[in-house]
Amino acid sequence: MSELKQSGIDSFKHNIKSAFKSFASSFLRSGKPTSDRSRAAAVFNNFFLHVQGVKTHINTLRPAYTLGLGLISFFLLIITIISGVLLMVYYSPSIEHAYNSVKDINFVVFAGRLIRNMHKWAGEGMIIFVLLHMARVFYTSSYKNGRQFNWVIGLALLILTFGINLSGYMLPWDQLSYWALVIVANIIQSPKELTDSLGITGFFDIGGFSKELFLGGLTAGKESLTRVYLLHIMLLPIFLFIFLGVHFWRIRKDGGLTKPDVFEPKAIDAALIALPEKKGGIFPANKTYGLMELAHGKTPVVDRDVENTVLSWPNLLIAEAALFVLCLAGVIVYSFFIDAPLKELANPMIPENPAKAPWYFLGLQELLSYSAFMGGVGLPGLALLGLGLIPYLDREEQHLGIWFSNKQGKRVAIESLIASALVIIGLLAFVINFGWFRSWWPNVPQLLITLINPGNIWVGFMILWSVYVIKKTGSTRMGAIALFTMFLISYLIYTYVGTELRGPNWDFFWSRSEWPIH
Amino acid sequence: MRNRFFSWILFLSGVVLLIFTLIAAYREMTPEWKKYQAQYKEQIIKTAKDNAVRQKAGALASEVQQIYLGALNKIDRCVSCHIGVENPMMDNAKLPLKQHSGDYLKNHPPDKFGCTVCHYGQGRATNKKEAHGIGHDTHWDFPVMPLKYIQSSCTQCHDYEMLGAKGYDTIAKGAKLFTEKGCRGCHKLNGIGGALGKKLDIVGSQPIAYFPMRFVEGERNTYNWHKQHFADPRVLVPESQMKISVKPEETDLLATYVLSLRSGEMPKDYRKIKGIMTVGKPDEGEALYKMFCIACHTDGKQSYFDEIFNRTIPAIVNKAFLKTADDKYIKKTVEEGRAGTQMTSWKTAAGGLAEGEINKLISYITKERPSAKPERFNIAGFKPDEKRGEELYKVRCALCHGKKGEGELGINLRNPVTQAADPEFLALTVRDGRTETPMPAFGKKGIGLTEKDIADVVSYVKTLSKKK
Repeated sequence: MSELKQSGIDSFKHNIKSAFKSFASSFLRSGKPTSDRSRAAAVFNNFFLHVQGVKTHINTLRPAYTLGLGLISFFLLIITIISGVLLMVYYSPSIEHAYNSVKDINFVVFAGRLIRNMHKWAGEGMIIFVLLHMARVFYTSSYKNGRQFNWVIGLALLILTFGINLSGYMLPWDQLSYWALVIVANIIQSPKELTDSLGITGFFDIGGFSKELFLGGLTAGKESLTRVYLLHIMLLPIFLFIFLGVHFWRIRKDGGLTKPDVFEPKAIDAALIALPEKKGGIFPANKTYGLMELAHGKTPVVDRDVENTVLSWPNLLIAEAALFVLCLAGVIVYSFFIDAPLKELANPMIPENPAKAPWYFLGLQELLSYSAFMGGVGLPGLALLGLGLIPYLDREEQHLGIWFSNKQGKRVAIESLIASALVIIGLLAFVINFGWFRSWWPNVPQLLITLINPGNIWVGFMILWSVYVIKKTGSTRMGAIALFTMFLISYLIYTYVGTELRGPNWDFFWSRSEWPIH
Repeated sequence: MRNRFFSWILFLSGVVLLIFTLIAAYREMTPEWKKYQAQYKEQIIKTAKDNAVRQKAGALASEVQQIYLGALNKIDRCVSCHIGVENPMMDNAKLPLKQHSGDYLKNHPPDKFGCTVCHYGQGRATNKKEAHGIGHDTHWDFPVMPLKYIQSSCTQCHDYEMLGAKGYDTIAKGAKLFTEKGCRGCHKLNGIGGALGKKLDIVGSQPIAYFPMRFVEGERNTYNWHKQHFADPRVLVPESQMKISVKPEETDLLATYVLSLRSGEMPKDYRKIKGIMTVGKPDEGEALYKMFCIACHTDGKQSYFDEIFNRTIPAIVNKAFLKTADDKYIKKTVEEGRAGTQMTSWKTAAGGLAEGEINKLISYITKERPSAKPERFNIAGFKPDEKRGEELYKVRCALCHGKKGEGELGINLRNPVTQAADPEFLALTVRDGRTETPMPAFGKKGIGLTEKDIADVVSYVKTLSKKK
């Protein structure tokens, strides 16, 4: 009896001593990742890690291949979520208190200014890195071979990134917010230009309706702020998370990132990875771990490339951890030195001149200055349609996972870069110096300008040039490279012009210092 | 380690991250105001004369100080640095610890008014640059106002006449110049004036963006704009047609005036009420009497016992009263009221009548004062015996005026005005009584007290307020 009791107490003592150990092992489930087997288990037994394969292709780990752009975008998102939740603790979404609550975040909340800066810069950083990530995916042909739809989802994520950034821009309710809200409402209203010229606005005012739906009224006011806040913290993030989940899941189902058909590990790769210890274990040397073997279709790659894979733990995870800390450090350093702007309290009586949208929409605003409908709806719609169609119009399956496909691809990209830069700058120079139809013939019908304006001419040129490239090279991939390069360059140039070279009344100035000081 | 490349990135970024997190935390923990609060503490401990003050100062917490002004929708954190603003010990301290100049805070307690209501600046900010709103990059429309224009803030609650009368010359002269320089020929103010120039109603509180700042010299703010614009409008606005010729020293006066033209009204509680005249009522004494006095004093010719107040309401137009009471005494009564009775204090700070209105009221009340002066009593010639006075009081006066002078049928004698009244006046009142009121004449012509008796009683009455 007493012995039993004694042993009960003993085992209790023992349990107390090993409580932490048993908690850790119940948490990790597979013990310390010391063998290949337990390393693999560490990944597939973990809810958060198992979206990644147990083994990762060496090509995926080459920094020069992915540049880590997709991951950086994701890590920036995580930073914005955490900092955003912290900001929500103090922010008050009413036009009476919004501005003051942001001021208080800046002035009295501990590290409030830094957190706000991090939220702002990580958010805007997402735009840059999502675009770069898209470029990387495009130039390495990673939208092919089962990944077509994921490219479309990526486009949706790009739009959501723009939307979340834009809605966040409006929350501080300062002069920047207010007048950006006004500009964006006008962009939303831009179909009115077309319905006006067709004389059907009276029956079918889609522009006016959309604007009213967005603003919660005819002018920007307290309802607009409520709606923008709803979009920023709930509606858009929900869609973002859903699409992001699908985006990641599909990458996994497509067998990880793309890689060249013929792959030879180089000496330099040895510096990046821990080579597998060939000790047997549950993984046959010639197989990736895979429930995916049960999946149908061509997505899971089960019997190729296995030679060139390494265990995700630790190779992939350390790369990811490094990138995350790099992102965090970058954002903190940038936020430490550069404050997120906060101007005067919103004042509907004092229009900012020029009233500008956030920088990432200034390319659109430049196009908008030619024709409201084309700049606001027509051309961006066309651009998105074009981008979305790329994987369906270019179905060549060679040169997967190789930057610019081949030498010809590089040449096409450079030629397109030069051609597009020349044409856009030429068009801009022409418009800035000579104006357009309206300045020559003041009574010209608006419909004519909607149909013929520098924006449309540019898009027309892009299409013609791409078709010409396809014809010349006999390759749709080359046409796609030409088209995408020109899209990127035009986004870059128009955004630069809208941001730096357009001053009050959307007049042209070589630099901001030449703006007439008000 | 085989994953050298990523390990190095991880290590280096980790180091950068750690360093900047630490620097940021240090920056957060050492704001400007902490330095000033430490200096303040140190200075008090050094100059304090007794230990209690020293201990109190030692216990001061280092934290953001703020004044929350619900009625004004403001939060002023200025006192985080200007922490000695109410402390007389900081009389000679340097800015920002210095005590506020003058005795302005006596009538404008910071916990009711805050700072930015007069001085402008960004009350919520907690660093000097942004709190003072200096420089375009602070994006603050109302930087701290230079003291030479500060009187423009007074007009939010006070009127120009009162300010002029009290010696606030800048604003009063500015207001006068405005009326003498033909400004209204082109500019509308309160709906009156020409249409050539801009309306001036809220020009003093318009944001910087309303003014073309391009040619302004020095700091680009509205204060400098107004001053330089008065000096030569066409320097700032080349196409301006404004006609103005002022001496250089007058530009500041006019700038102060236009800066006083602000939008929005201070809550009523803050405004100094300017008197009933400005409400547009007739300013005649009779009208004022009817407006304020008639409900209790009726026509004022007869005193009567009021059942509701449970005391006698004196006859203030009574000739016998007027014969003995001089204007000064009546004015004092009207201004201060009678504490302990229903008679209200009517001075500006209490009942809200302007001094001129009180004068008009008194000249109405004393309209029928008999020209004959009462025979002098000359109380100063007596050596009063308080003790005897007390006995006489108990017999002769207490019935109506109460044992302790609290009043019932007779008036309350303990009130400060009676207590402070000229003894000669009291003696005359006792001697001659008040015709047509219950107060009889106690002198030889009436009840028959000797003058010595009266002097004794008066001396006792003067001590009533000290009795419990």
